[in-house]
Amino acid sequence: MTTTQRGPNGVPEGAPVVDFDLSSHNRMADSNAAWARLRSTSPVAWSADNGGAWIVSSYDAVSEALRNWESFRSGRAVRTIPGPGGSPDLLPINAVPAQTTALMIPEELDPPLWHPYRRVFSELLSPRKVEALAPRVKHWVTKYLDDVIESGRCDIVDTLTSGVPGAVVLEWLGFPEHEWHRLGAAFHNMSAYLPGSPTAQQYLNELEWAFERIREEVTAARATPRDDLTSFFANIQVEGKQTSFEFATGMVNMAMSGGVDTTTSVASAAFVHMHYHPEDRQRLLDKPDLIDSAIEEFLRMYPPARTHGRTVVKDTEFEGFLLRKDDRLIISEASACRDEAAFPNADKFVIDRFPNRHVAFGVGPHRCPGSHLARAMFKEMLTQVLERIPDYRIVENELAEYPNWTALGGWSRAPITFTPRARRL
Amino acid sequence: MKVLVQPNRCQGHARCLAEGPDVYVLDDLGYNSTNIDDVPSHLADQARRGALACPERALTLVEESGGSDQASYSPPNVRSGLR
Repeated sequence: MTTTQRGPNGVPEGAPVVDFDLSSHNRMADSNAAWARLRSTSPVAWSADNGGAWIVSSYDAVSEALRNWESFRSGRAVRTIPGPGGSPDLLPINAVPAQTTALMIPEELDPPLWHPYRRVFSELLSPRKVEALAPRVKHWVTKYLDDVIESGRCDIVDTLTSGVPGAVVLEWLGFPEHEWHRLGAAFHNMSAYLPGSPTAQQYLNELEWAFERIREEVTAARATPRDDLTSFFANIQVEGKQTSFEFATGMVNMAMSGGVDTTTSVASAAFVHMHYHPEDRQRLLDKPDLIDSAIEEFLRMYPPARTHGRTVVKDTEFEGFLLRKDDRLIISEASACRDEAAFPNADKFVIDRFPNRHVAFGVGPHRCPGSHLARAMFKEMLTQVLERIPDYRIVENELAEYPNWTALGGWSRAPITFTPRARRL
Repeated sequence: MKVLVQPNRCQGHARCLAEGPDVYVLDDLGYNSTNIDDVPSHLADQARRGALACPERALTLVEESGGSDQASYSPPNVRSGLR
């Protein structure tokens, strides 16, 4: 094992030192290429960029790091940046600490506190419970496609891949329908622009509005409970006691930020992929039974959440290095999903790949509890697009990627044209 | 064939259920903690695919001959503490 001491500038001695600036990951292809280069030389490396962190990029190392909650914690921590003039630095779950957002419960908790809150989400979003939501999922996909299907043209992100998860989650939470689009956009824009950029700053007010609406709705639901998910979170008893206002809003925030812009990302990527790879679209049209394995392969190729951060809470040997208490880890699910050692022909879309043990939803205790709902929404969108507008084409010069691929990847805009068809509702 | 579940490794991905709907049973939280003592031969393929699909490598197949087919490696620290 390499012994790591702090050298100049806080670099652990013996660590492979790399330049790996996530703020430069402005396009999906560039980001994937940067991760591939790093993974092939130093699957665990130290970079002074991004506030100073160990960068974890291979499938095995990513899986091990995400499972090791006893050493690598998700809860927020405060660290003083070493060196002259270092100032305290809040370390949230986001890989790049810069933007303070409302707490997310239970993603930013560690066991044992995490346990009862995670149970709540696991039970609400179990495969059986998600089956009960299927009619709402189908309704919103049908309606939003109906809204555009006679015109022969739409932005599939705004209309469908952003609209549907927003409607399903916000209807369940009980937020008024006229706010869905604005709330969805607030979370989308938070993900789409790098913290600190002028554009992101512009959207922070919208995000603050969204958090204020969450606080208002939790307050109202405590006074007068309704039959919706916000009221459930607002009045929930955990271990016999009503949970705090901050944790109740944290759970609503979790449902919203986890729900509204993640399925969007992978579903948009799938529609873009099928435009540029008509052979894959044709195979799905010819053999609709392939849809379930195709969904897993889209998730592997285009995982919405690309990185997560962790903070080391005790000195830990990891992949031959000694990680010290208070070190930061940036763990890349996106890189793990393209690791050739785990997925032969990793950069190729293999529609019937099996086994396909991708980590798009993470592994370990913080595995995305919304994964079953995400798959259900993604499948219904894919099914109806292939049934109803199978000849859609992307308007290529209007297609726009997220401007940064650090934490979340995705498409800001994907206008399409297609043969107009009849409404269903 | 038997299927042995390591409940502390299961994190509720439910890929076993997706590949083996007639073999695997999940609890109310969507987690698998039920060993299968005797997989009927016509469901062996479902059982195998379900075990292979697990991203946490929580399922071990034990074939009739007595040999086991651990579909996984063993990283440290896999206790989730959920149960």
